[in-house]
Amino acid sequence: MTAQEQETIFRRWLDEHLGLMLKVVRGCAAAPPDQEDLFQEVLLQVWISIPAFRGEARETTWIYRVAFNTALTWRRGEQRRRVGRETFLKLDVSPQFQPSHADPAPDQEIIQRLYAAIRQLPKVEASLALMHLDGLSYQEMADVLGISENYIGVKLNRLRKQLAEQLKGVTDEL
Amino acid sequence: MNFEDLQKTWQTQAPGATVTINADLLLREVRHNQRHFWSVIFWRDAREVVVCVLLVAFFGWRARRDHDWTLYLLALAALSVGSFMVADRVRQRRKSPLASDSLKGCVESSLAQVNHQIWLLKNIFWWYLLPFVAALGVSLCVSAWRSWQQRFNASFGLGLAAGICALIIWGVYKLNQYAVRKGLEPRRRELEALRAGLGKED
Repeated sequence: MTAQEQETIFRRWLDEHLGLMLKVVRGCAAAPPDQEDLFQEVLLQVWISIPAFRGEARETTWIYRVAFNTALTWRRGEQRRRVGRETFLKLDVSPQFQPSHADPAPDQEIIQRLYAAIRQLPKVEASLALMHLDGLSYQEMADVLGISENYIGVKLNRLRKQLAEQLKGVTDEL
Repeated sequence: MNFEDLQKTWQTQAPGATVTINADLLLREVRHNQRHFWSVIFWRDAREVVVCVLLVAFFGWRARRDHDWTLYLLALAALSVGSFMVADRVRQRRKSPLASDSLKGCVESSLAQVNHQIWLLKNIFWWYLLPFVAALGVSLCVSAWRSWQQRFNASFGLGLAAGICALIIWGVYKLNQYAVRKGLEPRRRELEALRAGLGKED
């Protein structure tokens, strides 16, 4: 693969899957400097992974894998290589919305509480929650995590209960 | 609100609006980071090879100049330790985790690497220190035997040298055990917890 092809794919992925990467970052790191560090690390790993992408997996599955593997093995404070360098992004902590109700405030609050709840979960459960909320199929989640679909089902049942517990007052049933 | 409603609400996020990216600068940075990553690895390996070659050359040259066969032992020790380090690095690099592996695969290969690092540092005496200790020991014993005829002065100097060497070796050993406790064992626990979260399919 030429550098030009790699760059083209990278730019396209950035356009199409930026939201996915950001959700993983927000679900795994709370403080803005950590989010920025982790996001830059995810972008770096996505770039490095492109030559190995053969199209056998869906792009979203591939990017989820790279993002989760990076996020779950990333350690706070270790990636500060960019001190003193020009920054290429400005990352706003609070997600923005296309509100589903006339009043956007309730949605915004729910999303914020969901992020907070996800960050409280163990790392594997947090990744599962992010994928489940994004509507990935059992098979896609199994591909990303490397575990069976049955086990995904078992984990999701537990996960819904954990999330329901943490979101008491916001949701009636999960 | 049920889970489906929650999913819908979740998917209403418009994440693209929250970041401003300078794509050209990003590409430059990504390329820079990748080059930096490979250059760190290259120079780390190169440093080990260069130090090893210099030590072999130095002890070999001294052995030849002074007609002292015990210095060949030190050259041999440096050669064996350097070769072991390079061979191990090459072998481990082939097993490096890929970010595009499944999470379970990535965690398992990272764990294998951390375990290997712990094994290396815990056994540093056998593969790193012992060859030098053995070669130095022989060298000092032979020098002591030679100086025995000149009696006390040289023997005292040799005893002092042996003491300093023992102290350095002890320091190197302790420093490595500290690195295992402080850096690698917490990392191993973290990875084991991750693997446990993925592992038990009951």
